Amino acid sequence: MTDLFAIRDLSVTYGAGAPAVERVSFTVGAREVVALLGANGAGKSSIMKALAGLVPASGELLFEGEPVSALSTRQRVARGIVYVPEGRAIVGSLTVRENLILGGYQVHAARRRERMAMVLELFPEIASKVERAAWRLSGGEQQMLAIGRGLMAGPKLLLLDEPSLGLAPLLVRRVFDRLAGIRADGDLAIILVEQNLQMTMRLADGIHFLRSGRIVGHRHRDDLRTGAARQEVIDAYLGAASHHAA
Amino acid sequence: MTQPSAVAVLLSDLFPLVWSGLITGCLYALGAMGLVMIFKCSKVVNFSHGNVAGLAAFLVYGLSSGVLLQLSWGMAVGVTLVAIVAVAVLTYALIAPLVFASDLTATIATLGIGLIAQGVTLLVFGADIVALDLPVPPFRATVLGLRITGYDLTVLAVALVTIGALFFVIDHTKLGIAFRAMSDNPFAAEVCGLSLKAVHIFAWTVAAVLGVVGALLIVPTTFLSVTTVAVFMLQAFAAAVVGGFTSLPGALIGGVLIGVLMNLFTYYVSPEYSSTFLLCIILVALNIFPNGVLAAAGGGSRV
Ligand SMILES: Nc1ncnc2c1ncn2[C@@H]1O[C@H](COP(=O)(O)OP(=O)(O)OP(=O)(O)O)[C@@H](O)[C@H]1O
Ligand SMILES: [Mg+2]
Repeated sequence: MTDLFAIRDLSVTYGAGAPAVERVSFTVGAREVVALLGANGAGKSSIMKALAGLVPASGELLFEGEPVSALSTRQRVARGIVYVPEGRAIVGSLTVRENLILGGYQVHAARRRERMAMVLELFPEIASKVERAAWRLSGGEQQMLAIGRGLMAGPKLLLLDEPSLGLAPLLVRRVFDRLAGIRADGDLAIILVEQNLQMTMRLADGIHFLRSGRIVGHRHRDDLRTGAARQEVIDAYLGAASHHAA
Repeated sequence: MTQPSAVAVLLSDLFPLVWSGLITGCLYALGAMGLVMIFKCSKVVNFSHGNVAGLAAFLVYGLSSGVLLQLSWGMAVGVTLVAIVAVAVLTYALIAPLVFASDLTATIATLGIGLIAQGVTLLVFGADIVALDLPVPPFRATVLGLRITGYDLTVLAVALVTIGALFFVIDHTKLGIAFRAMSDNPFAAEVCGLSLKAVHIFAWTVAAVLGVVGALLIVPTTFLSVTTVAVFMLQAFAAAVVGGFTSLPGALIGGVLIGVLMNLFTYYVSPEYSSTFLLCIILVALNIFPNGVLAAAGGGSRV
């Protein structure tokens, strides 16, 4: 089976400093959920932005067998690589509906209406507030809007950057419930960035651990069944971030 | 008791002054809305706006008067619009690398482009004053003591249609959503796969067209010289400032306010000091309502 997305030797360097991401390689299979776990500043968002074409990067990116590293963000979105940024980055002054239209900007109008109905069905929390300015939504609703906006583009691969950030535990659970739902009935692969090991475990098939811009370990979901195994990876890879993951 | 009271005199002057201020104000608004559109999405104050629109007015003159060609007025305007849109796109192409690097550098670069536009105007058309008329229906009527001309109605109609169309596009179309998204959160717009450049070019192009329309409508009230339109754009700039520089409805209200206030000042106080008065308005506006009259009035605005 060929991989949906193959990432080889991805490096990101900002300015003159040391690289924020250094020769990272991994693959994502069709319908697979791959998680990247690491402490603050480990380079998770940098990887995601590089995959979305939002920051300059070196390395080889093969999506459905074709090189995409020379493509702009717009072209990658059209191919089905869609980024849901950390901190949500919704457009506060636009309404919920307008934010969703923005997400499906390159999609044909009829297809866009279809997808909007699908997204609103998936997130009833925002369905009742489509004409409301997005800044007036709660944090959890904004996160759902951000994910919904990502789905509007009709992604084959969703790059989800810390969907639990800044959300109360109950909301985190609700967001992950939705994600599990999307996962179950969609033909969708996900790269998930998280600091929350427990939530990640619910969704991910495999987890890569990141430290200082490098992948320092990998576990399959089945390797993390027991609490002891989880504690072991926390101690080994996440260090100071363990309180997030516990 | 044949002597009319001072109040009556004041009022009989006041209405025509307010009316004609309203008319010119609409034109300031057109100029101001162009400046605001560019500023909202590129974060650049386009100082070339006036000189480029001035060049456009001269082009229409040159193309219709036989200096360059002997076209009909409509044809001349058509050709000029194409040329000025090309200039706007070229201007944007020149400063785009700067826009993404530093807003200040890009703003300064527009000053240079304005000087180039002025230089080209001087080179091609010389420093002479010319007359450029507007083919308006010969109409005259007196309503409630107010003399209304074909020119007034033409300006009002053109301004209403242009501004109405602009608000419609920005409020109700996909392109408008893209423009508002770019102004509010360019990163989000990029994440969604929008072409930042395409949205910028939309704004610059629309601004250029608004500038040309404003210039062509204002010139018939005076004469056309190298600096006429640049001076006109100074008032448009003041209108944009009064509106907070980031609000299109604010720019519209600012334009009308400036038009009326300038008219009253010129008539009742002194025509010599009108530039000083304009600067005072800018200073007062910046100090009292730095976010614009609309924000000061408590009405937030989406565009
Ligand atoms: N635009 C930028 N310019 C310069 N350095 C940056 C930039 N963005 C990130 N960095 C640096 O790159 C490193 C990795 O940052 P990144 O945002 O990828 O980390 P992260 O793993 O997503 O962290 P967090 O969990 O806090 O979101 C950090 O040292 C950060 O300071
Ligand atoms: Mg991050």
